[in-house]
Amino acid sequence: MSISLLQFLLGIVFLTIIFLHLTRKNFGAVVVYGIQSLAITVILFNSFLETKSLFLLFVILTILIVKVILAPVFFIRLIKNHELTFSASTYLNMPLTLIVLAVFTAFAHSDKFLPLTNIVFAHHALLALSLSAIFISLILIVNRKSALSQALGVLSLENSIVAFAVFAGLEQSPMLQIGILFDIFSWIIIATVFISMIYRHFGSLDTSLMKSLKD
Amino acid sequence: MELLIIFSSLFIASLIALISKRRALIETVSVIASLVVFGASTVIASKVVSAGEYLPNVYFSVDSLGALLLLIISCVGLAVTVYSIAYLRKESAKGVVGLTRIRQYFALLNLFVAVMVLAVSSSSPILAWISIEATTLSTAFLISFYNKPSAMEAAWKYLIINSIGLLLAFFGTLLYFTSLQTVGETGFTTWGNLLSNATYLDPAVAKIVFIFVLIGYGTKVGLVPMHTWLPDAHSKAPAPISALLSGVLLNVAFIIVLRFKAITDLAIGPDFSQKLLIIFGLFSVLVAALIIFTQKNYKRLLAYSSIENMGITALGFGFGGVGIFAAVLHLIYHSLVKSALFLTAGNIFLKYGSTKIAKIRGAIGVIPVTAILFLVGFFAITGAPPFGIFLTKLLIFSAGITLHPVITILMILLTALVFVGFFRHAQAMVFGKAEGEIKKESESFWLILPPLSLLVLAFYFSVYQPPFLQILIDNVISHY
Repeated sequence: MSISLLQFLLGIVFLTIIFLHLTRKNFGAVVVYGIQSLAITVILFNSFLETKSLFLLFVILTILIVKVILAPVFFIRLIKNHELTFSASTYLNMPLTLIVLAVFTAFAHSDKFLPLTNIVFAHHALLALSLSAIFISLILIVNRKSALSQALGVLSLENSIVAFAVFAGLEQSPMLQIGILFDIFSWIIIATVFISMIYRHFGSLDTSLMKSLKD
Repeated sequence: MELLIIFSSLFIASLIALISKRRALIETVSVIASLVVFGASTVIASKVVSAGEYLPNVYFSVDSLGALLLLIISCVGLAVTVYSIAYLRKESAKGVVGLTRIRQYFALLNLFVAVMVLAVSSSSPILAWISIEATTLSTAFLISFYNKPSAMEAAWKYLIINSIGLLLAFFGTLLYFTSLQTVGETGFTTWGNLLSNATYLDPAVAKIVFIFVLIGYGTKVGLVPMHTWLPDAHSKAPAPISALLSGVLLNVAFIIVLRFKAITDLAIGPDFSQKLLIIFGLFSVLVAALIIFTQKNYKRLLAYSSIENMGITALGFGFGGVGIFAAVLHLIYHSLVKSALFLTAGNIFLKYGSTKIAKIRGAIGVIPVTAILFLVGFFAITGAPPFGIFLTKLLIFSAGITLHPVITILMILLTALVFVGFFRHAQAMVFGKAEGEIKKESESFWLILPPLSLLVLAFYFSVYQPPFLQILIDNVISHY
């Protein structure tokens, strides 16, 4: 695959995270997360074409099944069952959110992180964009009040780290692939079990309603 | 072989808890598994003492620090398992939990212990990371054990904050692997590989990735400002689980930080990591001291005390020299005493049905043995002589006073504040005048024995360090 196609795919990953920041509709958020995971799968598949690692192919197939198909289907069923059309609001308002995203994207492209983004010199722009995706995924988790959005934020953070690993040439290590697989499984278990439990207890996925634990 | 015995016994105990409906069988098997783990850990530790390292195969290795942690995990694990039986029997007598919950509890408890053993015995940083992630998964269900909204809140907070932390730790771990790209290694990567190739790590990259790892695993350690999950989780989990979380899990995560510190120090020298540990340690003690003073919940009080003690340990490793020796001892004492304190807190909760300090008065007249143990635990954890924490704090401060006098003096003042704040609450709970009439009843032997044993052990190690312990600690100092 050409570098411009990889750039395009990473651009999709980055834009989907921006979309997750902007959208108020849960259905759209879940669909976009599925697209993001598909982009990551294609990026990883490109790596497979170069390395021909069978274990990597297994990881790719797992991501495809779990993150692109199963997780979105589960989330959509959850949204339909509980009529969770709209996501709970954010802690920061929209203009402020956009400013913070711009600042962190610029920060990831700054000289401070040159040692990281120059790990593979030819992939400097891709690594900087992956690092931006990591940062804005973190903000997504912190800024959103909905448990579903927070879960999508964690899963996006995971995708962004995988993207960084691929462009840094680190995805070939079987140990890292096992790590990625384990994280996928653990978060799918967490998301499926705990989000339903939160809804059962609070009648909503709005985590700002959780106020009983304070010093 | 020993590790295989540990994992298989815990796995069998978990499996029996899941499939059997006979409570006595589940309890018996869990205790037997804990005894087996304790025995096998002792054998492993003795092998480490004689050979310097335990290397059963390429996937596992236990060094001196790992051996110390294995002993702590098995010792506290045994105490917690024995205590859990009596504790849950009281809870089911009150109708709080049923058999299904109890089965889940023992299955997850054994799994939790198993993954902690895996974390300290794995030779791979990624396997260690997977194990720490697995502790999050197993304990999240244990924190939400009581199935109340507040417990769910604590569990969700725990999951989200720790998941972020651990993903950052994963990112950091991954970047340490860049040192291996230089020499073209892509197979099974061990701590040893990373150490031997540390000099190939770009110094600028080493600094950034250590920050990621420290923030990531520091979240699990409970260092400020990543600590916010800890008081909630510790206060909402059943008391024996809080004992394991506070007394063991924090230390397990800490040794992963120390392993990365050793690699980073080889790449860029110790100054950078020491400075960071001092900063995080300082803020942890500061925040914990201020909150302990105004705390209203005794389980949260103990949780903040853990944050304070992890901060002091971080300072010990940050100051270096004799501070490292003291920090290792501090980890051991803290594990034993804090676990004992959480178990006595469980007894208080069983009697009073509340975790609010204001509702616990006159415990000495109602549950006298527990009250005395709580008081002894308080003196031990705050560093009153002759308990070991007095010595470790003294040594850590003496290590810091020449190079960092301002920080050290501030630390001394803050630990004094912790003592005063903790004492205020402890004396009110133990000697305060009860508002209503609370009936005195005989205390269960099985609820007393585990915390008593842990405190006796902590006291014993305070006045005498057996040769095997000295050898292990000396080895740790030479490596970290």
